[in-house]
Amino acid sequence: MKPTRALAIALGALLLTWVAQAAVGYWQVGRLEPVLNEETNLTVPPVPSGLAHTGARVFASQGCLECHSLSARGPKDSADLTRGWGQRRSVARDYLFRDPAMIGTARIGPDLSNIGARMPEGDKLMQHLYDPRLIKKTSTCPTHPWLFATKPAGPKAEPDALQVSPDGWHQLIPTYQARALVAYLQSLNANYALPEAPLK
Amino acid sequence: MNRSTLPQGSTAALVLILGSILASLVGAGLQLLANTQLLVPSLDRLIPMPWFNYGRLVPASQFLLSYGWLGSGLLGVLLILAPRFSGIAFRYGRLLFGGTILWQLAIFSGFTQILLEGSSGLIGMPQPRFVSILLILSFLVLGTGLTRGLGRSWKSGPLLPRLYLLLALLAFPLGLGSAEVLLRGTVTPGSVQIIAQLLWHSFHQHLWLAPLGLVLIFQLLPTLTGRAATSLNLGLLAWIATALLGGWLGTVRASDGPIPSWMQSTGVVASILMAFVAIGNGLLVQNLTEGRWEEIRRNVALRFLSVGAWSYATSYILLAFLSLPWVRPVMVFTVAWPALFEVFHFLFLGCVLAGSVYALLPVAREMGWPNSSALTWHFWCTTLGAAAAASGLLLAGSFQGLALSDAGVPISTLASYLRPFLFVVIFAQFFWLVGQVAFSSVLIASLLRLFPTAAPMAVFRNPTVIRPVSVGHLHG
Repeated sequence: MKPTRALAIALGALLLTWVAQAAVGYWQVGRLEPVLNEETNLTVPPVPSGLAHTGARVFASQGCLECHSLSARGPKDSADLTRGWGQRRSVARDYLFRDPAMIGTARIGPDLSNIGARMPEGDKLMQHLYDPRLIKKTSTCPTHPWLFATKPAGPKAEPDALQVSPDGWHQLIPTYQARALVAYLQSLNANYALPEAPLK
Repeated sequence: MNRSTLPQGSTAALVLILGSILASLVGAGLQLLANTQLLVPSLDRLIPMPWFNYGRLVPASQFLLSYGWLGSGLLGVLLILAPRFSGIAFRYGRLLFGGTILWQLAIFSGFTQILLEGSSGLIGMPQPRFVSILLILSFLVLGTGLTRGLGRSWKSGPLLPRLYLLLALLAFPLGLGSAEVLLRGTVTPGSVQIIAQLLWHSFHQHLWLAPLGLVLIFQLLPTLTGRAATSLNLGLLAWIATALLGGWLGTVRASDGPIPSWMQSTGVVASILMAFVAIGNGLLVQNLTEGRWEEIRRNVALRFLSVGAWSYATSYILLAFLSLPWVRPVMVFTVAWPALFEVFHFLFLGCVLAGSVYALLPVAREMGWPNSSALTWHFWCTTLGAAAAASGLLLAGSFQGLALSDAGVPISTLASYLRPFLFVVIFAQFFWLVGQVAFSSVLIASLLRLFPTAAPMAVFRNPTVIRPVSVGHLHG
């Protein structure tokens, strides 16, 4: 085989792969647009807030994806919906405004694609982040104490202080990162129907 | 060949190989620590710092093992090999050395950034943007050096190594560069970002790392056994198929979800076809090694390369199995995929890298290997350790997948399913680390010439048959 022919084959194969996935992928799912939910008169998927957008990066940086996926599958292939992880399967349109868009590759813990609907309470999410064993004793999720500042407990608790205290003398105040992460988790709410994925 | 410029290239190669070994020790150590945390979750209370967190340790160790250990090591041995199979010396040795330093700087920066600041969350690309730019820049320098191996000698040596080298040299900058542009350089919709991540994952694993390993297999095995590949047509077919199919293999990591279903189906078909490609390459290796079992038993480099070649075929057969339509939905989010990582990285690429270092470093550094029991420790600990870790993870993944598919099994009990297997995996990974420490010690001692007697060819102790294997023409 001549070097030029080998070069043409290798380059052609790589470009073909790239075009078939990235370019055709863009043509197929990259041009999707939000749709109007006639019940609420709002478009879905909703555009996440700036805080939630920051929270996505905190979520990635804390390595939550090493144990949690962000993609619920349909009833044909999995028990995801029976477990209550969502009311429908995740589809490409759900990820329209996600940056970075993440699906995860592991499930040591539950799928979080709909955690905002399953656990909407910010306090509970904060406590889970600080120490998951406060919510569930058998949890294997690691603690994240560095996401909270410790302040001496005064006569009056700070308005956003956690309900728990590490020693009774101190209160735990969520940092900006913790607030952003909770805002992101709350934004993961897919309880709306899409044309290609109706609610079950 | 202009020998005066060879030492510059060999110094660059040595820096890459030493960096690779350091990365393997640190990366495997962190992997061990991460799995221990999975087994004992309360361990994170000992050091309540972000960098000690499971979520940081896993991407940091994967980055270090993938780019630091295998990437650096394979580039290092190829820097020794390329001028020898082309007969053309590196012209700009200092530039090459600069590229090497830049590569090591990228590895160190990427590792510390992931550990201290966290991963980017992108599949196959946990490092920050500036690290990717450093990697591409240094690869352009090192890759340009390696193209010397493709030069005017195209017709004078075995064709397959050159073809795989060409593929790898094109795939890395094209894949990483376009992934960076799509994922962090422009406003790409989230739905396309996921496709771009899986595309880069495929390029990285199957069009860059695997072809680099195949270059060494198809160059060194014929040299060490004194035989040529029997069917060039089969080899060419396998090469073309690798180039066409390799980029699709990442899409099988998604099941249902946001990836278009036709892409997932194509990924499944590509994975199954790649198993046949790997079997085809396996047949070529079979012809190269058949009847040479005593030499394989005795010669350290040959034994590592043979195990690496068979593990290559095994890893693609395992990938095809995990991609089967009735297996994939069960196994997709389980630790069965890290089992594939173990076979692919530790058994295939790790063994090929070790065999290549044993075969090529004496050529570059005019050093020898001692007849030490550390060689035996290295072989058995690394191969058995990696095989046991992969088996443990595969079994754990099977139980995990079945448990995840049954809504009656609470997710909180999942960890208890994994625990017994995690014990095995941790023990096996520790075993692998012991083997790698043995390798490091014998390598450092050989470089420093601490052994009173040494031979250019590494042999295991107490060989039953003494039959020399010529590596002479590698020296030319």
